Amino acid sequence: MHHQRVFQVKSPAPGLIELLIERGDVVFTPGDCVALFNPAGVSRPYSISSGQDEPYLRFLIRDMQGEVTEWIANLSEGDIVKFSRPFGWFRPGLNGDAQVRSVFVATGTGISPFISYLRTQPEARPEMCLYGVRTAADAVDVAFLESRCPTTLCVTRESVNGYVRGRVTDRLDRLPIADDVHYYLCGLDAMIDDVSTWLESKGVHFSRIHREVFFNA
Amino acid sequence: MREILKVDWLRTPEGDSRGYIESTELTEVWFHTGTNCNLSCPFCLEGSKPGDDRLNFLTLDDVVPFLDEAVAMGCQKFSFTGGEPFVNPHFVDILGAALDRLPCLVLTNGTEPLCNRFAEIVDLQAKAHDVSFRVSLDHPDPSEHDASRGKGNFKMALRTLGQLHDAGFHVSIARLMLEGEDSPERDAGYAPYFQEAGLPDDMTIIKFPDFMTPGSMASVPHITEGCMTQYTDEAQRAAYMCSFSRMVVKTGGRLGVYACTLVDDDGDYDLAPTLRESMQVRIRLKHHRCYSCFAFGSSCSEGH
Repeated sequence: MHHQRVFQVKSPAPGLIELLIERGDVVFTPGDCVALFNPAGVSRPYSISSGQDEPYLRFLIRDMQGEVTEWIANLSEGDIVKFSRPFGWFRPGLNGDAQVRSVFVATGTGISPFISYLRTQPEARPEMCLYGVRTAADAVDVAFLESRCPTTLCVTRESVNGYVRGRVTDRLDRLPIADDVHYYLCGLDAMIDDVSTWLESKGVHFSRIHREVFFNA
Repeated sequence: MREILKVDWLRTPEGDSRGYIESTELTEVWFHTGTNCNLSCPFCLEGSKPGDDRLNFLTLDDVVPFLDEAVAMGCQKFSFTGGEPFVNPHFVDILGAALDRLPCLVLTNGTEPLCNRFAEIVDLQAKAHDVSFRVSLDHPDPSEHDASRGKGNFKMALRTLGQLHDAGFHVSIARLMLEGEDSPERDAGYAPYFQEAGLPDDMTIIKFPDFMTPGSMASVPHITEGCMTQYTDEAQRAAYMCSFSRMVVKTGGRLGVYACTLVDDDGDYDLAPTLRESMQVRIRLKHHRCYSCFAFGSSCSEGH
């Protein structure tokens, strides 16, 4: 277990929390999660969205008004938080290989592992990022993503100039399909299920579809 | 045979002598890879969930001395459970080392952590021994399975079973046993799904009752010495997992050998630091899950 100090808690959009914790000696791989524990010992896993060598661990958290997110939303600078050792199996860019051809599909805070990977691998240039959010304000690091790869932002609850209105699953026809491309999906289970099914229908072998979803009933 | 001298280990609350098993020969060693899991199923007997560290990740260095000791004792098989074993970053290396020595069985939920390492798993076929996979499919109804594990989980686990089978691995499933169920009918409910995934009709289906979550105090009858002599014979007693197997567990950074796969939430079953010493301890059937072995003949082992 780790215990580190909160550096900052922000709410960049309603219902979205950005938490920065001092990294200390924590070592992780892009795609890793940690489980954050509230004082009652209840934990939830969150993906790290910062780069490997940055001084802070950054988390993007959808405020579900559950017992853990409510506690996170009320954290203050200087508070000490307890969290697990980083763990994970989702490895955008095949364990950090910046040369691999990758496509990222994310919804909501599912963008976190991709941001972590891109911040860690400055030379990585994915083929595309398809990123779905409810409102434009929910989208984080859009300029950064756009600077690194063609990015399509899909917004479901409002029309915004320059962005696509609708779900990522409405825009799958934009995804490049090729035998050497790896597809990385992160977000809600229903989206991941739909996108996986679509990719397989296009002949993408399952071994090139990489998924990150925590199934919580 | 060594006896643990604790009153509640030796006696039931009524003062009767508890039933016991004296282990014979060690033929199977289980390794608990850690309670960290990608899922958080509400019924999990281990209480496993993402980030959980009640039972720590095993490393290759932790495991190798036990592999060698087990082989020297005549063990015939290694088995692995979690948590989800493939969440443990060391697991493929551990499995590889085990397969250099003996056949292995892996219990898995058949989801992302396994799928994302599929190519490494296929490479294990070059090893000296075979590995079998047992995938959890709790119910023959996808919606019931997904209610605890998440949308699309049944489909994914089923597909993983098919892929493992296609790749040449032996596969089986584990399911939940419902109270009063018609077991043959419930087993038969899987047939169309097996067919869909290209799996054999006669797949082994291992059934487990509700073992309850760790630390639970289930109200079950206590098993006395009288129960064990009156209701079981020698062959039945020999089929108890604690008669022929052990499980290696790491807690608080310390390795220990437990009596079986179901009692790692009770420190009394942390028998010894080595397999050989653990076989010298008389196992009292104190844990509420011991009753599942007594009443239902439950066993995590396969083909024993």
